[in-house]
Amino acid sequence: MTYKVLEENNISTVFLNGEIDMDVTDKAKEVILPLIEAGKEVHINLKDVEYMDSSGISVLIESHQMGQEKNTRVVLKEISKSVLKVIMMAKLEQILTIE
Amino acid sequence: MKGISEYKNFEVNSANLKHIRTFAREVFNKSDELKNYQEELVLALAEAAQNIVKHAYNGKPSSDTIKVEINYSEDGLLLIELFDKGQAAIPENIKPRNLDDIKAGGLGTFFIGQIMDQVIFKTSKIDWVNHLILKKQF
Repeated sequence: MTYKVLEENNISTVFLNGEIDMDVTDKAKEVILPLIEAGKEVHINLKDVEYMDSSGISVLIESHQMGQEKNTRVVLKEISKSVLKVIMMAKLEQILTIE
Repeated sequence: MKGISEYKNFEVNSANLKHIRTFAREVFNKSDELKNYQEELVLALAEAAQNIVKHAYNGKPSSDTIKVEINYSEDGLLLIELFDKGQAAIPENIKPRNLDDIKAGGLGTFFIGQIMDQVIFKTSKIDWVNHLILKKQF
């Protein structure tokens, strides 16, 4: 997994790339959670994520929950087909914020 | 193509999960039927392998190996088997999480159950501690 973060108009957009499994979830959390902790609106762009398993979904859930605690928006953007399939399998499409 | 029988051993390490997926994709690609379900089947197999690393080895790397065996018979029965020598699994404790309970964890087992027809745990196989069998009839 690789990533880049863009800051624009007080929104941090995290672009994740590649495959997200147990091996890289700590890295993904280290990137995303401090931004939410800082109270920023965070967009997670998933267009280049080719594979995500339950560990990756856990990162999305944790990010969503931390966003609720900090009263800031965490939005999933441009979700790839394969990731959307997994989100829907977990029946999270109504819970996570998807735009 | 049916009549596939392949296996490979992988050292216990979360960094090897991607290699397990690569192996699975290569095998599933050999059959048109399996190829159509490749993403789901790879996810089920990878979740099972992840559970071994996470639970049988507490997330720590080991020089032990996980054996992954894939058999696809002439009559369309897919058997994915995983063998490990980690801590013995307690089948009664392996439960998918309730989807109404929004939390991280337990999702992998739920995914496996959604994708495969049957999940069988065995803990008495000679030479291995845990033997997991995932079945799907095509």
